[in-house]
Amino acid sequence: MSSIFQRQVVYLVTAIIVAIMFIDFFFFETSTWIGEQVQTWGMVIYNIAMGLGAIRMMMSHGKVIQRRSTNWQYSGMLVGLFALTLITGLVGYASTGDPQSNSLYDWIFSNPYVSLDATFYAMTGFYIFSAAYRAFRARNIDAALLLMAGCIVLLTNAPIGEVIWNQIPIVGRWFLDYGQVPAMRTFMMVGAFGLLAYGLRALLGREKGYYGEVAGGK
Amino acid sequence: MAVIVAGRLMAFVLMVVAFALFYLFMYLGKGGMKIKVRTLPAMAAIPEAVGRAAEMGKPIYYTPGIAGNLNDPTQGPQVLASISIMGYILRECIKSGVRLDAFVPIQDALPLVEETMRMAFLAEGKPDEFDLDMIHFQSEQSPYLSATLGYFQRQRPASNILIGGFYYESVIMGEAGNAIGAFQIGGTANTHQMPFMVATCDYMLLSEELYAAGATISEDPHMLGSIKGEDIIKFAFLALIAVGFLLGLGRITSLIDILRM
Repeated sequence: MSSIFQRQVVYLVTAIIVAIMFIDFFFFETSTWIGEQVQTWGMVIYNIAMGLGAIRMMMSHGKVIQRRSTNWQYSGMLVGLFALTLITGLVGYASTGDPQSNSLYDWIFSNPYVSLDATFYAMTGFYIFSAAYRAFRARNIDAALLLMAGCIVLLTNAPIGEVIWNQIPIVGRWFLDYGQVPAMRTFMMVGAFGLLAYGLRALLGREKGYYGEVAGGK
Repeated sequence: MAVIVAGRLMAFVLMVVAFALFYLFMYLGKGGMKIKVRTLPAMAAIPEAVGRAAEMGKPIYYTPGIAGNLNDPTQGPQVLASISIMGYILRECIKSGVRLDAFVPIQDALPLVEETMRMAFLAEGKPDEFDLDMIHFQSEQSPYLSATLGYFQRQRPASNILIGGFYYESVIMGEAGNAIGAFQIGGTANTHQMPFMVATCDYMLLSEELYAAGATISEDPHMLGSIKGEDIIKFAFLALIAVGFLLGLGRITSLIDILRM
């Protein structure tokens, strides 16, 4: 009986929701009441999962602190900052009805968080540079063509490219607009077919991996 | 009044045709038809990744990528497909006595990852060895990235498996993995991240291969049938593109008009 609830009911609920969303998209110009309800339920489940994730995270890091495991100080910092953010957010919400109007909460988000986030994002440039260095080695014909196209696009974006030869930006734009777009669109299209096949398998209850039924093991 | 919303008719027709074709091959597969699908090099390399970790006595890093949540239409299905693959990899790890650390930055995927890992240990007859500390949860993109980079430096995993939906972190993770000399398998259907993964990983699941990988490892005729159907519909679309190209040369727009219905 429990296996029926664990598996069959889950497949059935998935199939019903997928059918509702299909009908809602193809047969109605704007979302229907039931379609909106399903999306609202999705948001509610998402928020419950978020709460569960927070509890699970606190339990995990709490255990690390309790056991004084390796680098437990970082876990302590995480728990402390989590509590601070939660309390300032709740206090702000209780006093003004808007969690972001609390100046301390706002400061935590706008100053430490945003700047740290931007720092990480800025690091991407250096990693792209080192990845490009490795990818741009002319080991074979394919890699040599990639290197050539990459150099032209690089010179298209750098002002010196036009100084070297005024046609370089035109060639570079051709690579960007006509050379790579069909390849990217091909990947998008085959990806969409893969997604359709995956969707059908999930709808029929054949794709069971994320329900906890693992494949392999021979 | 049209039954189907204007502009969505052809999408509906193509979807129904695709579903019918997938289902036909799934049915034929179930009926005993021998279905041969292509080998995915990235999936064939998984024993190598696990074997390397076993020889070095180091863990494997696994991540299903990032998404705002599983409802995200672009990233969500990739994450789900990745969780299916993770179950298979974990079973290989359990057999070889290799630890797999899963980094999950998506709160609603966390219970799925936990259940998949628990079931993998159960399937291998070692339910007591499942440890919740194998799952590392991070709440956002930058914490996820910094936790990953820190893990790479501290634990020096033998193999990194980055399969799922990724944004800009893919290049950073791939390069950081290269810096520690890890064997890397990547996979994503996010076209903007594919070049980074191709450049940084040893093997790669490109685009729809990510969705097909779970089916190929299952060896279930139903699942393999859908891959066969997918391959056929791809050839049909190649033909459609060729026809469109020729019509375009003659400035005939009838095919475009039909597809826009």
